[in-house]
Amino acid sequence: MHNRGAVAGAVVLLLVVIMAILAPVFFPASPWDMVGAPLQPPGSPDLLLGSDMLGRNIASGIAYGARVSLVIGLVSALVAVVIGVTVGALAGYFGGMVDDALMRITEFFQTIPGFVLLIVLVALFSPSVVSIVVAIGLVSWTPIARIVRGEFMSLRTREFVQAAILMGESNLRIILRQILPNALSPVIVSGSLLVGTSILLESALSFLGLGDPNMMSWGYMIGAARTVIRLAWWMSVFPGLAIVLTVLALNLVGDGLNEALSPRMSRKVQA
Amino acid sequence: MDWSRRKFLAAASAAGVVPSLLPGSAGAQTPKRGGTLRTIINPEPPSLITALNVQFPVQVVGSKIYQGLLRYDFNLKPYPCLAKSWTISPDGRVYTFTLQDKVTWHDGEPFSADDVVFSAGKMLPETHPRWRISSDRLESVKALDPHTVQFTLKQPFSAFISTFLSFGCPMYPKHIYDGKDYRTNPANSTPIGTGPFKLKEWKRGSFIHLVRNDNYWDPGKPYLDEIIYDVVPDSAQRVAAIETGRTDLVQNNDIEYFDVPRLKQQKNLVFTTKGNEVVSPIAWMDINLRLPKFQDKRFRKAMMHAIDRQFIVDKLYFGLGKVANGPVASTTLFYDEKVLVKYPYDPKKAIELMDEMGLKPDAKGVRQRVNVLALPYGEVWTRQAELVKQQFGKVGIEVTIETTDSAGWFQRDSNWEFELSFNFVGQFMDPAIGVARVYLSSNIRKGVLATNVEGYINPKIDDLFARGATAPNAEEAQKIYSEIQHILSDDVPVLYLTELQFPTFYNSAFHDVVVNSDGTLGDFDGAWKAT
Amino acid sequence: MTGVLARVAFVSRRLVKAIVVIFAIIVLNFFLVRMTPGDPALVIAGEAGAADQKFMDDLRHEFGLDQPLWKQLAVYLGHVAQGDLGFSYRQRLPVTQLIADRLPQTLLLTGTAMAIALALGIAFGTMAAMYAGRMADTMITVLALLVFATPSFWLGLMAILLFSVKLDWLPLFGMATVDSGLHGLALAADIGRHLILPAVTLGLFFVAIYARLTRAAMLEVRELDFVRTARAKGLGERRVVVRHILRNALLPVVSYAGLQAGYLVGGAVLIETVFAWPGIGRLAYEAVVGRDYTVLLGVLIITSIMVIAFNALTDIVYVLVDPRIGSTG
Repeated sequence: MHNRGAVAGAVVLLLVVIMAILAPVFFPASPWDMVGAPLQPPGSPDLLLGSDMLGRNIASGIAYGARVSLVIGLVSALVAVVIGVTVGALAGYFGGMVDDALMRITEFFQTIPGFVLLIVLVALFSPSVVSIVVAIGLVSWTPIARIVRGEFMSLRTREFVQAAILMGESNLRIILRQILPNALSPVIVSGSLLVGTSILLESALSFLGLGDPNMMSWGYMIGAARTVIRLAWWMSVFPGLAIVLTVLALNLVGDGLNEALSPRMSRKVQA
Repeated sequence: MDWSRRKFLAAASAAGVVPSLLPGSAGAQTPKRGGTLRTIINPEPPSLITALNVQFPVQVVGSKIYQGLLRYDFNLKPYPCLAKSWTISPDGRVYTFTLQDKVTWHDGEPFSADDVVFSAGKMLPETHPRWRISSDRLESVKALDPHTVQFTLKQPFSAFISTFLSFGCPMYPKHIYDGKDYRTNPANSTPIGTGPFKLKEWKRGSFIHLVRNDNYWDPGKPYLDEIIYDVVPDSAQRVAAIETGRTDLVQNNDIEYFDVPRLKQQKNLVFTTKGNEVVSPIAWMDINLRLPKFQDKRFRKAMMHAIDRQFIVDKLYFGLGKVANGPVASTTLFYDEKVLVKYPYDPKKAIELMDEMGLKPDAKGVRQRVNVLALPYGEVWTRQAELVKQQFGKVGIEVTIETTDSAGWFQRDSNWEFELSFNFVGQFMDPAIGVARVYLSSNIRKGVLATNVEGYINPKIDDLFARGATAPNAEEAQKIYSEIQHILSDDVPVLYLTELQFPTFYNSAFHDVVVNSDGTLGDFDGAWKAT
Repeated sequence: MTGVLARVAFVSRRLVKAIVVIFAIIVLNFFLVRMTPGDPALVIAGEAGAADQKFMDDLRHEFGLDQPLWKQLAVYLGHVAQGDLGFSYRQRLPVTQLIADRLPQTLLLTGTAMAIALALGIAFGTMAAMYAGRMADTMITVLALLVFATPSFWLGLMAILLFSVKLDWLPLFGMATVDSGLHGLALAADIGRHLILPAVTLGLFFVAIYARLTRAAMLEVRELDFVRTARAKGLGERRVVVRHILRNALLPVVSYAGLQAGYLVGGAVLIETVFAWPGIGRLAYEAVVGRDYTVLLGVLIITSIMVIAFNALTDIVYVLVDPRIGSTG
């Protein structure tokens, strides 16, 4: 069942990526161009998914929006993974004082309501793709750090690591070459889930009016559509569906990866 | 303005003639006592003390509690509120007001000329930036007797009579505020005014509950028993509330413009855009004239021709408001359409103008790059920024939209950290109050909003505004203000966009809700509900 | 004796840690919010549409914003140490009062959402695990994933459209009918009707998470030796599932729920905005927008204390439900 789900997720994801890449082929005009009459319902001539209040093509917005949303999701997740892996690896590998200090920082971020911190950060740097991505990364790295720390703590005691230490390999080398590759699978799984969460967070920011108006993302489209929701349902429903489908696909793939990569199940069953 | 007519009004009001001449009370039905008006307040005001906080939502609720000396009809002519009549000396320097009899504060103390002297002469000059425009020109305020107050100006100021509304000069009780710190006065949480309604309960984040003042000075009024302001932060919720009858009245920015056409269809709702004449804001884009790229007037004219402003009115405001062509709103005093230079949507003309000044497109077709600071006041403003970006793009002006939250916008606009910045500024009846401040070179003040943030310097305009403010009569003032409108519409110190109108909807069971230019910022003492 | 001492040492160590975290939260956020463009005086002036230099100078002086930053921080820390969270610039009320006004509503909302989430999540998760691989499992899993992938504010808007506008079953917004004169049970019912939509919308997201967690944990646990032993002893399936499998499987769910306390407050920002719920999340958001520094810091401090307390509570619950400890004790 899960593998089937993962395959379905992968297919959907692939389609979304293809749509993002081929957007200029399907829609030569910019998604910001006013190509038709405003507020046309779906199915109107040349406006498969209708138009928004400036007469812009929703379908074109969805296609180009895929680029922005995927990039925001991926890069935010990457930021979170980089921070999380760094903190987790250092804490788990060195232990003691380093661990204590880094865990206080982690607790700090876990204790503050993440979404409130996100709003403060975006307000501080004023909304742009860069500030949004960095802010999302900054508020979502803690679970990764905890996972990586756990993996590092247990892997550090293993023979091959102890052997490397005895052979006098540098700490950095051991962390990067010996332990990290073995700790990566849960990171990949959580990372794939984070992509979806980041897309959702960006849409929530846009909902509160903190999106980047130079980038047409799905979240931005919903944010723009929410006030007209009763006048033009298609403006929020289609980008909403795009988000739901993509995040769903990402989660399915994440589940699939989890099953494929995590040896835990089999290990426990054998034990 | 018609000065003899004003004197007639003043005299007539003393004889009790005026009320029947007023709009709103002309209805054939007799008002009924009783009933609750449920309405919405958004955003929630930080306090109800209109003397200390001049924010809009404070005024929406506070105006039911605190009153001014005068009210203004839809044509911005004054008529009585706490002052029942007034005279102006022939030299335009001495204003004498006679107060209503038997006005009491909510705590039972009598309202008298001493309170007016205290409010207008002591408290408000200290706390109220809008009143300071007038009080700075005051020589003295004196109580001649318990019911007569005399204001003496240093020199004539023709806008003076237009500054006595509750929004500009609200009356506060001397016995509570005098000699104490205004801002930390415990009475600030239990407001005491002369208005038709009193505060009963304020559950923060939920609602503000006002009840009838049974000892109101105007006999028989108010008609309503209570007014409840629900705090509803989401606009979709607000429109659902008026549609389902959960609320009786929506005002100002409660309703998004796209909902207006649909609500207009609803039979049990009354729609009006009246009652915004006092504020009558004009939307424009501030131009940072300090930047070399904006210093050629032809480029500014080209930008005007590049924006389809009628599209903004028709499609973004759904027909509300109108294209603005100059600095004075058509709903306020001294507007003169004949003299205005107009800028119809004409991309070709825009390109011609730029060609003429030698602004040629580069390899990418870009003639000029500009940053536009969007206004974080809701979707309509964001859409306008997007529209400008597209339409400027068509004539070769590449736009990058910048956004902030509202605090960030205040910071950047007032500190001149912008190239073009969306803005709207209220007019407040007389150009000397709401218009001059944007163009006077003496009013270039870094860090202060609604000043000459664009850095416009024109000695001719400075001189004209100075003469307009002290004009001895209305004809003279009109001539001066017409000339100002001509020069500014030709000079384009800001990119004029639209005159804003705010939709008001209310349940048709209610009557006399919007009766003057104060609209829903009025005191509602005559509003009533049919049963 | 040593046991007591150890416990005291443990508790005080935890307390010190908590204080360090809260101190860091105060200092860091103090500087963070001060770096944001604009200040409360400018916001109040801006929203007024009319303000001159004097107006803003007066406000800045009154708020103490004209003092050096480090001095402001020192003053603030001194006050916080005495339990005083300061004064709201915009609302002109003590921050503690503002928070005390709003906190119960948020606790009601998030508490209900949490209860719904745990109850439904564990029930669905258990069902999915019991019928693993079959139709019911697939349906639950897909549904959970779907909810998990839906923006909560969007779900809330759709729910309002359906239940409040189209069907008119439930109130649109707010948390009680104003001045209804209701008391006791009737008032509770009134609040309950207002509570349904926001609590369910907020809870649904977590239903999805808990269902998935429960399912995964149960599948893992049921293969373990002691479960097999229990089955071999001939215990009924129901008893095995509830007493042995579920009890063990709940551990990850509970510990995860503990970590969610902060999220609940944050997630409440959106739900409270959509449903006009007068809670602390909205207070925080409005404080950010209005640069009402003291209110924002106050909310962050209070929620942080709550999260820390909640985590401590989770640890206790953990001990209670952990059968290994339970069986020995």
